[in-house]
Amino acid sequence: MGNEKKYGLSSAIIMGLGGAIGFEIFVLLNYAYFDLAGPSMISALLFCGVINLITMLSYSELSAALPEVGGEYTYTKAAFGGFISFMAGCLRWLASVFGGALAAVVFVEQLGVLFSVFAPPIQDLILANAALLIVGLVIVLVFLAIRGVEEATTLIVAAFLAIFVIFLAMSLNYTLTPRNIVPEASGSSLAVFFATAAYIFPMFVGMRALVAGAPQIKNPGKNVPRALMITTALLTVVYFLVAFVSVGVVNPSEVDAGPLLNVAASRIMGPVGAMLFALAGIFASVSSVGTAMSVQSSILGGMSRDGYLPKALLSAHKRFGTRYIAIIASSLFVLFFGTSGAVVFLGYAASFGSLLVFALVNLSLIQLRRKMPRLDRPFRAPFYPFTPIAGVVMSVLLLTIPVVLRDVNAESALLSSLGMVAVVLVTYYLRMVKREVDFNRLRVAVGGVCLGAGLTLIVLAPAIAPPAMFIIMVLAGLVSIIAGILNFLVSARKID
Amino acid sequence: MKIRRLVTTVTGVAQEAIGLLSAVLAVLLFFGVLEVQAVFNLPADFMPLYLLILVAFSLFSIVSGAFLIREGRETT
Repeated sequence: MGNEKKYGLSSAIIMGLGGAIGFEIFVLLNYAYFDLAGPSMISALLFCGVINLITMLSYSELSAALPEVGGEYTYTKAAFGGFISFMAGCLRWLASVFGGALAAVVFVEQLGVLFSVFAPPIQDLILANAALLIVGLVIVLVFLAIRGVEEATTLIVAAFLAIFVIFLAMSLNYTLTPRNIVPEASGSSLAVFFATAAYIFPMFVGMRALVAGAPQIKNPGKNVPRALMITTALLTVVYFLVAFVSVGVVNPSEVDAGPLLNVAASRIMGPVGAMLFALAGIFASVSSVGTAMSVQSSILGGMSRDGYLPKALLSAHKRFGTRYIAIIASSLFVLFFGTSGAVVFLGYAASFGSLLVFALVNLSLIQLRRKMPRLDRPFRAPFYPFTPIAGVVMSVLLLTIPVVLRDVNAESALLSSLGMVAVVLVTYYLRMVKREVDFNRLRVAVGGVCLGAGLTLIVLAPAIAPPAMFIIMVLAGLVSIIAGILNFLVSARKID
Repeated sequence: MKIRRLVTTVTGVAQEAIGLLSAVLAVLLFFGVLEVQAVFNLPADFMPLYLLILVAFSLFSIVSGAFLIREGRETT
């Protein structure tokens, strides 16, 4: 057991880069550049790097003080206890579902780009059968995950960095069009800037892999914070340079030319570059779908172990020892959202889940400083309490601005996230309520809501229901009223 | 008691069905499948509101239906 901590600083940095550098750069920059901020997307990237750095300071302190397995789930549990940690686990899971689904969509997109170079008819075939390909990809990855096949993170990181370095080196021979990357100082321009930052934020959040791997790192109190800082700096520089070159090569009006990075690569490096980037995108997305399913099954397993979810999710495969039920359950969600192909919605949804988790982690730091002042902290976040407060404020800002801008994808993503929080709340209450009186109070509340909803449906039906829906709405309203009365009366009597 | 049990169970099952159908309708509306929005002539500006109402309604219907079915089975 004592020999488990075996990775040094350089391995920790690779772990962080491996988690962060992925498919996101191939997809998120497109909408951010062509539809949102234009060239000032680059400033939004730097802003994301700063926000990430601020929250990574909180992660560093918490991971050094509580180096157990579990990451955010462990920190929020120590700070706030059951419900918040359950919510953090669910949000992390949700972000992973949306991220995995987005990666599956990117897989098909990059496959199409790859074939567009030498076999355009096959590209059309691929795009026409996107959903089928996603189903096939997820089934293969589920099969591999159940068999316990691991990926080679170091190799993928090295390949990515090599491709980016070649891309940047070859861009030196290319005349880049100068563009204004600073956003205008008007209210609407700044709002778009923040919305862009919210959208591209998932490009950084994968770095949490480093925190999750803290128990395997030598001297985590020292190495994890250092690795987090170095990884953030490296990542911001790499992203900045790649985006800067791409923006200098592709005009904001060329929205139909294809994915930003692939178009820039084909212009700078020719067909070989286009193929290299498409291959990198394919490998990154496949790896991300696999990682997402593994993370999800691990979160579901953890919450099941703590009694929040059914124990069946902990069941291990007889031959391979992997949690096959949790893996299959996770893959179904990835499949469902992946086959929708709703790229922008998935981008925002993955971002919002992560931003909520980041806010909770920063709040956990503040709470733990107050609750456990004598806890051994090998690393302390500098400028406390300003850093965690800034992290919370930035997260809330990024969560709300895209919605204020009435971006329909952001609205849908936020509503989906809030809907999931509501489901989490009800699930937690149902699983954790032990006393009969609490259960009956919940039933009274649900009964009251159903009664009100049923009455509203019947009253509003003549005014808002289309003719075909009128009878259905009235019937649904009647059923809701009867159900409300039954729940209300029976439970109210039991409380008395 | 038999009639009450029957009413409770039937109402619970009906509410589960309504909740699930509302959830399916929300998904169809959200992803624009089968042109549901055009079929029901729903204005695009109010889509997030319709979705919110549908999701909330389906959530409460499913939970309430589950309570009633559970009660119907307990009294058996």
